[in-house]
Amino acid sequence: MSDWPKKTEYLGRSTPRVDGPAKVTGAAKYASDVQPEGWLYGMILRSKWPSAVIRSIDLEKAKAVPGIKAAVTVRNGERHVRYYGEELAAVAGVSKQACLDALRLITVEASPQPFVVDVVEAIKPDSARVFADAPNLGEAKIKEEGDIHGAFGKCDVVVEGEFSTQVQLHQALETHGNTIQVETDDACTAWASTQGIFSVRDGLASNLNIPQTRVRVITDYMGGGFGAKFGPGVEGSLAARMSRETGLPVKIMLTRFEESLAVGIRPSSYQRIKLGADKEGKLIAFDLDAFGSAGFASGGSSAGGGGGAGFPAPYIYRVPNVRAKHAGVAINAGSARAFRAPGHPQGSFGMESILDDLAVKLGIDPVEIRLKNDPLELRRKEYEIGREKFDWLQKYRPPGTSPGPIKTGVGVAGATWGGGGRGTKAQATINPDGTVEIRCGTQDLGTGARTVVALVAAEIFGLPPERISARIGDTEFPASGGSGGSTTTASVAPAIFDVCTKALNELQVLSGVADARGANFDAACRKLGMEPVVMQGEWREGLSSSGVGGVQFAEVDVDTETGFIKVKKILVVQDCGLVVNKLTAESQVNGGVIMGLGYALYEQRVMDPQTGVCLNPNFETYKLPGAADVPEIEIVLLDMPERGVIGIGEPVTIPTAAAVANAVANAIGVRVHSLPITPDKVLEALGQIPAGPETASSDLDKSFVVVEDLPAVAGEFTDDVPS
Amino acid sequence: MKAFEYVNALTPTSAAGLLGENGRYLAGGIDLLGEMKEYIATPSRVVNVKNLPESKTLTVSDGVLRLGANVTVAGIAAETEILTGWPALAEAARDVGSPQIRAVATLGGNLAQHSRCWYYRQRDLTCLKRGGNTCYARDGQNKYNAIFSGNPCISPVVSNLAVALSALDARVVVQRKEGEASLTVSELYQDAWSNPLAQNSLAPGDLILAVSVPSDGRKSAYLQMSEKSDFDWALVSCAVSGKIEDGKISGARIVLGSVAPVPLVAADAAAFLEGKPLDESSVTQAAEIALAKATPFAHNGYKVPIARALIRRALLKLLV
Ligand SMILES: Cc1cc2nc3c(=O)[nH]c(=O)nc-3n(C[C@H](O)[C@H](O)[C@H](O)COP(=O)(O)OP(=O)(O)OC[C@H]3O[C@@H](n4cnc5c(N)ncnc54)[C@H](O)[C@@H]3O)c2cc1C
Ligand code: SF4
Repeated sequence: MSDWPKKTEYLGRSTPRVDGPAKVTGAAKYASDVQPEGWLYGMILRSKWPSAVIRSIDLEKAKAVPGIKAAVTVRNGERHVRYYGEELAAVAGVSKQACLDALRLITVEASPQPFVVDVVEAIKPDSARVFADAPNLGEAKIKEEGDIHGAFGKCDVVVEGEFSTQVQLHQALETHGNTIQVETDDACTAWASTQGIFSVRDGLASNLNIPQTRVRVITDYMGGGFGAKFGPGVEGSLAARMSRETGLPVKIMLTRFEESLAVGIRPSSYQRIKLGADKEGKLIAFDLDAFGSAGFASGGSSAGGGGGAGFPAPYIYRVPNVRAKHAGVAINAGSARAFRAPGHPQGSFGMESILDDLAVKLGIDPVEIRLKNDPLELRRKEYEIGREKFDWLQKYRPPGTSPGPIKTGVGVAGATWGGGGRGTKAQATINPDGTVEIRCGTQDLGTGARTVVALVAAEIFGLPPERISARIGDTEFPASGGSGGSTTTASVAPAIFDVCTKALNELQVLSGVADARGANFDAACRKLGMEPVVMQGEWREGLSSSGVGGVQFAEVDVDTETGFIKVKKILVVQDCGLVVNKLTAESQVNGGVIMGLGYALYEQRVMDPQTGVCLNPNFETYKLPGAADVPEIEIVLLDMPERGVIGIGEPVTIPTAAAVANAVANAIGVRVHSLPITPDKVLEALGQIPAGPETASSDLDKSFVVVEDLPAVAGEFTDDVPS
Repeated sequence: MKAFEYVNALTPTSAAGLLGENGRYLAGGIDLLGEMKEYIATPSRVVNVKNLPESKTLTVSDGVLRLGANVTVAGIAAETEILTGWPALAEAARDVGSPQIRAVATLGGNLAQHSRCWYYRQRDLTCLKRGGNTCYARDGQNKYNAIFSGNPCISPVVSNLAVALSALDARVVVQRKEGEASLTVSELYQDAWSNPLAQNSLAPGDLILAVSVPSDGRKSAYLQMSEKSDFDWALVSCAVSGKIEDGKISGARIVLGSVAPVPLVAADAAAFLEGKPLDESSVTQAAEIALAKATPFAHNGYKVPIARALIRRALLKLLV
């Protein structure tokens, strides 16, 4: 179906990023590097209370600090803050020290309120409430198909399990923030660390109450977003207000501490699953009772935006009899934001874990049970490719049978994603001197979007990518969408294809050169005389599509005496349609796997139930995988040019944790039911920990009873969470 | 951080005088600046001790290793004489933080570093150790806290070097008032065992000058277990030393880190091993004895099996 050239010169090869040298030499200026003339530091005062009614905020002493040019409150009048770290006020001044001093001089009069930060506590009927007028546990949503009540009776085997997943933080290397300049005539320029320049533009226009045409957003380079950087944020609106007040540019880049509190999370999940099948392993019935928290705004009727805690279930499998129930729980913590494949890693961990338990009970090989039940032919093919490559049949042993104290295990899991393209416009200019400039209002959130623009243009014109000036990250360029949902490459590549094809045609017509590509290009351009070719183009059908599978195999060593897990290898078999740039596609896979390893083994936001504060708002105790933790990652990309371009950013992070968890269970012969799988949990599962005080899992056990009692409303269950 | 005055100390004796009311010594600055940025420490004056004479030298003479207080952790890790003569120390140094941290961190600063309990380091809380009324960790998120303590604070000692140096019977030379004191590692930390406000036994003004490590034909080993493969604090660390003859051990020292406010010397376990061959059975019994009195909290019982495994493995390592 696709119009992409069959034989390619640049597409599908491994091309280094066109902006690589600028990045490694520091020539690339990120949002945090921008320093317009006269700029001021801005900093935010945040709530020290997990819940409090703010009576008054006195800024006078702060304003008197030498060097301070502005101080504002987030809102006037009394208000209720509902988490530790919620924004209260901000200052702008000529130095960081002036701002730090000023923040400490702001006096806040507040009445602290009862709070709860633990999800399992929050659903108890006598828990403190996040919103006084509603229980923390929202109304459950239920999806029902078939006859769940009768179906379990017809199953030959039934397995049950309780699973939980943690709150994960985005932790992009560059924190959230903007430098914003509002001129006296209200013209606004923002240098933003964002994955959506147009959504930041629209947000700022509405914050400042000015037309969108008055706002220009520039994102030349930014250091990652993972779904949490679509709007200007409270920090953006505060910078804009203080810039308007002072007439000077104001920069607010969050600190790592702030980054850990207020700008998004992946919601937690608590899942009780019952799964039934026939003797052959064919799935018959699936029952899920789940809850989780997306932060303070999570609880049903009390929700105030910020995304839900739902997840797709029974994930990639089609089971004839399904009941899936999910409820959101409000706690006093910052809100969720879209996070690389929202909902999917949670859904994948629960479902793929219980499926392996079922396979073990039936004595069926884990790959085999997936081949039996996976509805997607492409993914079944990927399992078969992976089984070969990974040497699965050699490596797989019955659970816990690897000899010695350090046990080896293997596991596998699959994923699904959309990743299609959508409206994107672009402009191409061909100058008489042979220079080419492409403008497109997309942004590069670190995935290599600028290189995609250059590569597609290079292919059409037959020129080396260095000859293309790829200009992106500016709202004055033709509009494109936010970089989310793995849509960027599938949106941008077709638009560039379209505009370059048109521009090449025009060049050929005007110059009279029949084939102006490659070696003929410069000569054709010279014939243009004074007039450059300027062409508009856009995304159109036929060059991209949507829907990918993807499977991952994991091999781990588990030290049964210390609980330490070493991941030895991850094999990824992934489709993404036409591979535009093999190098950056593989980079996406590596990054997705590494993020998945963090989710599997290390990462977790820790809140203190007694005080409501976050205890690990830094990279020292919020543990991210480091170079030494990264195993061999083998990547098999199924290049399918006939399908057009499809995104790959999100699917590759989904199944890693489930595959690792299954490998750990296979190694030690017992399952760790909660992520991250840290040494303490491994030792607990192995019964190595001396009997002590009550554990978290026994508490969790009781909490499902509470959920069961709650009234449920029939409703659409979140199956595909937008991102 | 709060504005402060910066001065350079040129002699050990002048350094203490320069501290004034609430001054602090600055070596690599990793720990001190962390505390200052969070307003946990607000000194009016910071006294740089990195330029003190001889403080960066490392010598071996008559079988005694002498390390100036400002030798870096990376310097210790890279020294082949240490790796062969005092392997526990080299291995402990190699496991400290990341390459960047090791390059800047000093021996003196590593020994004198303050609590890493995440309640202590939380800018908006004032726990017992910071002069408040409550230890939040006891009933809270105590996964990384101690399983032995002689006081209400259960913040564990986290210096890798302290654990190794204790097992190696090192002496810490401290400038104290007008004179020099020579402390065992246990003496350097003992106040932290009984006093929740103490990080160690150093009084304000006490300055670590050097560390000397004897070599009396001992073998030594250090092992730690963290959640990550690298750049992570030890959940538990263990250093052992002893003389080995015909596979039998004498004069053993077994020391655990990250389990108590001080490097925990397992004297009973060491006594049990005296004269015994090191084998699966003896080291397993020694490990049992060492952990017999552990009193874990809700979330740190897992440290017990890890400590046992490390003791066994470290002791057996002495045989190779
Ligand atoms: C992310 C991270 C990970 C780390 N991981 C580890 C680890 O795994 N293992 C480990 O052991 N350490 C670890 N550290 C701690 C690090 O090694 C120490 O912070 C460092 O050793 C402190 O040395 P410094 O020279 O920077 O000390 P400074 O910060 O300069 O000083 C520390 C303290 O000692 C005092 N002081 C300094 N010199 C003297 C002296 N001569 N006499 C008396 N007092 C003195 C200072 O006043 C201050 O109170 C880690 C630190 C960080 C930030
Ligand atoms: S263990 Fe010590 S440092 Fe930690 S909260 Fe308790 S008193 Fe504070």
